[in-house]
Amino acid sequence: MSFFSLARRNAWRKPLRTLLLIYCVTVAFLMYGLTASFLDGTQGTTGASDELLGVMSASGRTQTLPMAAMTRIASEPGVASVAYMTRMRGYVTVEKNAVAVSAVNPELIAKVNGKELGLTQELVSALAEARDRVLVGRALAEAQGWSVGQRITVTSFQTARKDGSRDWRFDIAGIFEGETASTDTYFMLANYDYINTARARGTDTVNAFVVLPAPGISAGALAARIDALFANSATPTRTQSEKQFLEGFLRQYADVGLIVNLVIGAAFGSLLMIVINTMMFAVRERTFEIGVLKTLGFSRRRILILVLGETLFLFALGGTLGLVLAKLVTVMTGPALGLVFSMTVLAKAALLIAALGLVTGLIPAMNAMRTPIAAAFRAR
Amino acid sequence: MTDRPAEATYIRFRNVKKGYRIGGEAIPIFENLDLEIPRGDFVAVMGPSGSGKSTLLNMLAGVESPDAGEISIGGARLDLMGEGARSAWRAHNMGIVFQFYNLLPMLNAAENVELPLLLKPVSARERRIRVDKVLDLVGLAGRERQYPGLMSGGQQQRVGIARAIAADPDLLLCDEPTGDLDRKSADEVLAMLRLLNRELGKTIVMVTHDPQAARHARRTLHLDKGRFVEEREAA
Repeated sequence: MSFFSLARRNAWRKPLRTLLLIYCVTVAFLMYGLTASFLDGTQGTTGASDELLGVMSASGRTQTLPMAAMTRIASEPGVASVAYMTRMRGYVTVEKNAVAVSAVNPELIAKVNGKELGLTQELVSALAEARDRVLVGRALAEAQGWSVGQRITVTSFQTARKDGSRDWRFDIAGIFEGETASTDTYFMLANYDYINTARARGTDTVNAFVVLPAPGISAGALAARIDALFANSATPTRTQSEKQFLEGFLRQYADVGLIVNLVIGAAFGSLLMIVINTMMFAVRERTFEIGVLKTLGFSRRRILILVLGETLFLFALGGTLGLVLAKLVTVMTGPALGLVFSMTVLAKAALLIAALGLVTGLIPAMNAMRTPIAAAFRAR
Repeated sequence: MTDRPAEATYIRFRNVKKGYRIGGEAIPIFENLDLEIPRGDFVAVMGPSGSGKSTLLNMLAGVESPDAGEISIGGARLDLMGEGARSAWRAHNMGIVFQFYNLLPMLNAAENVELPLLLKPVSARERRIRVDKVLDLVGLAGRERQYPGLMSGGQQQRVGIARAIAADPDLLLCDEPTGDLDRKSADEVLAMLRLLNRELGKTIVMVTHDPQAARHARRTLHLDKGRFVEEREAA
């Protein structure tokens, strides 16, 4: 028997109570794991780059910029390369099955953002081979059940063709994987030339320019310089990192992070009260035995560690179970929900387990530690 | 009780004062108590309720401090030690046998006996060997995995004795060790204490109400109103 197993045996003294406590902790950490994964992975913000810059119209995301602006951006010192992109949103078969198409120049997007998206030279060549080809992200392909060679039709919500139709037909030339699990791959890449030539309005405009800063160049400073270039033009710009853009996009609807943190805070606050209360009762029931241990020579410090060890054991077991369940849920739901159980989530959860285990055990442990032996013996 | 040669003295109380305050009223227990017990002695302390037996035992165990005076055991001044030092001292020098055994119910016999060994720098293997040895000594070999709830009072008290001697302390304090046992079990426990005193040289101080139990000690001290009123050597 070790000192730790003594703490463990104490914890299991009343199995039903212990199981209920572990259940509480498991549920709390399952919630934490899922919400943190949601925050971490929503819309690929984890995978989004802090360095890559997006240049958009200062009037709003839906407004366009003239293609001619590209030359001025490319000539700005500190810009390594520039790509352009036009977004088209539409649906496949039914309206609620929405998909996003980014119309790009294959070579340019590969140069700027190819690594993050997992664009190999083969994929880029396959896309460039014919104008109506697309590369589909892994998450989107899995969600739709698409495979390479398949022909699909995307009905655009707004981008009409010159013939009045809003149906855009594409051949799937390949599937890109994304650099990491948290990279957003729930969209497809199409040829800009195809959409630009065929669309009824907005010819030679783009929704955004994607800028890769040269090595050693501060993305923030470059963003400010680019915006200054167009400050007094007919199309002023707003330049942000990819991450800032996505976070800002989400914040249009609500401050998801704040809401999630409030929910988690409330859950952990309740959990803290429940566990502290239960542990206080559990330790009070054992006051006499704590007196016996002290008589045997267990110091105040050892008694403190014993009770803290007990709460840490409960939190470690419950927390691990909760996190394993959260991981399973993220694996089972796939990338479509945007849940990413990253190492950051795991590390934060591990810290929370240790902190909550210590905090909840502290009051009962201090009480046990301070109880004089004579008073403990009177508790029988 | 102070006429023994100083070099043989193991436990020494000198001018010990101890009292309690209950409801604002000061109740003195000991006034200038002196006591000397040589190493290897087996002393029974008897006396009526309220005579100070439990307080004496508590001060010997370092559970309570005197209000004034000196308490030294084996040269260590308990009255000068802080709580942490007294805990460490107990862990290394003293074993205690309780009237109601006070075994931890969720631990089996071997694990209960192992408890004081967790406080010593001893490997798990050495702990196991030591536990087996003391359980064998108290006649409980083969019952290592039995839980206290399934043992008779006599068996539980033997586990209590095994726990008290597991860390091989010099001093054994016994608080009414036979108070909850039938005569047969009580005699077995007392015979065991005598064996520990005679064969292993443990110094034993036993508080008891039972004159038959006291007969197993080398001498008996009678305590009344905080004073030793009589000392009787064993026949």
